[in-house]
Amino acid sequence: MTSDVTARTYMITGPEPELWYRDPVSCLQSTFGAVVARAGADPLAVLGAGWRFLHLPGDVRSEEFYYPCPPDAAGETDLGAALAPHHELHARWWQPADEDDVWREVRESLAGDRPVIAAVDNFHLPFRPAYSDVHAAHLVVVYGLDEVRGVVYVSDAMPPAFRGAVPVEAFLRSWGSANPTDHQDAFFSDSRIGRRCLDVRLDAVPPPLTPEALGGFLRTDVELFTTEGPARTGLAGLDAFARELTGRCHAGDVDALRELYAFGWGMQAQAALHGELLRRCGHFWGDPELAGAGRAVEAVAHAWTGLRITGAHGLDDPRASAADIAHHATVLRTRYATAVDAVGAAATRL
Amino acid sequence: MTDTPVSSAMTRLCDPVDISGHRNNTAVSAATDTKAGRFNVWGNSFAAEYLPAGGSLVHVAGVPFRFPPVCDGPDNVRCEGQFLEVPEGRYDWVHVLAASERRCEDTVGMHFADGAVDAEPLRVSDFWAAPAWFGEVRAFESLVMHYPHHVQRNVSALMWAQRVPVTRRAGLTGVRLPRNIAVHVFAVTLQRTEAGA
Repeated sequence: MTSDVTARTYMITGPEPELWYRDPVSCLQSTFGAVVARAGADPLAVLGAGWRFLHLPGDVRSEEFYYPCPPDAAGETDLGAALAPHHELHARWWQPADEDDVWREVRESLAGDRPVIAAVDNFHLPFRPAYSDVHAAHLVVVYGLDEVRGVVYVSDAMPPAFRGAVPVEAFLRSWGSANPTDHQDAFFSDSRIGRRCLDVRLDAVPPPLTPEALGGFLRTDVELFTTEGPARTGLAGLDAFARELTGRCHAGDVDALRELYAFGWGMQAQAALHGELLRRCGHFWGDPELAGAGRAVEAVAHAWTGLRITGAHGLDDPRASAADIAHHATVLRTRYATAVDAVGAAATRL
Repeated sequence: MTDTPVSSAMTRLCDPVDISGHRNNTAVSAATDTKAGRFNVWGNSFAAEYLPAGGSLVHVAGVPFRFPPVCDGPDNVRCEGQFLEVPEGRYDWVHVLAASERRCEDTVGMHFADGAVDAEPLRVSDFWAAPAWFGEVRAFESLVMHYPHHVQRNVSALMWAQRVPVTRRAGLTGVRLPRNIAVHVFAVTLQRTEAGA
């Protein structure tokens, strides 16, 4: 290999990214999990440490990786902080600055031994089931670029789980796709990809989780669940969200159900990871109350299934699905209240 | 695939339930007509070639189930609160072959001859290449996933054998399925209470 060739080949050092996955998560958590694992931390301990409810009206985008992320005082958003509020996880969206050299930032990141999370349209990626069939916004981890062979190295833990080379031309079509409206995927199409990327950093590898540390996380989150604020947070925020959702269904607003599927995925994944972490900690620490609280949080995740799937099947006639949506929202509210109570009780002894 | 005929005391206690009048969804398709299946909103379906013959008696962990028709009309009950009448009797378990559009837990209503009704949990893991989160038995696995326009390798579709307890010591007359369309039931079998129990 010549020095010229070497200069055009960029690859992270060490093993390929971990294919980190749980069945309730989306590409958002799986790609962040891969980066967190590479940083030397346990993805479940980082991504599952926080549990909150937040709905931002008008903010939901038709992307598998949507997650509510409020801007700070300067108008900046930090998706890492939203996903892992108790850890030094940070993420910043960026796009190539130079249309004539769209790989420049990717090269720099890989040269700095940092993988890149890239937004893509599944339609153009040969390893995705939707290839040449369905347009849908998705995330993958880019861990190498070989401009000599003309391939990008991509890792994607979402089934069918792929790790390997993709032709640069195919990746560029996917990365730059308009992701047009596609009736086969009403939830994750119609959202321009725009060569967006995420720079994700875990600034501090957390020490092993202790009961004291977890207790602090839980008490903070329970207070947020039980304190009414200006935004749609906590149980009061859930109530406001559910009322609006049901009302929009009665009004025949199909967008309410489209948004429900994307928004709900983030909330469902967060509850699933948090519940699993608490249950695991409760088991290892011999704390059945904590383990039971974790199971109660997992039940929240499982209740999201009924609501999201009812909405997904209700697109043709939102009014007809309104009663079932209201039913599942009630079930979900009950599960949240039960779980918050259980977590609060467990937290007082940690 | 767990399809081992078992002649056991438990098998003799089990009675498959006829749910044919309630089937309202087609979850299985042939590779030559993948559009015929529509388990979920994306039109994914199980591949018939990996499943038992339609109408056959299959055994999963010793429990006999009457497998639904395959590629011959609706093959499962998408749960919308349907009421399944059952021969009145004392039962310990309601066994189901089920699959879910993502991991799910809901309740079924156990209705008794004396008017009592008990809610019991029905927990079904995701059908999409997922582990048995609730400790079910993996009954059948389609090693490929059918999409409307193609057959997808390396993504499996899973059907689970789950059970729901009948805790009340009374005559069961009916089972009300969850009001939850994420849950699909392919077969139901009742396990009678052993004499003297």
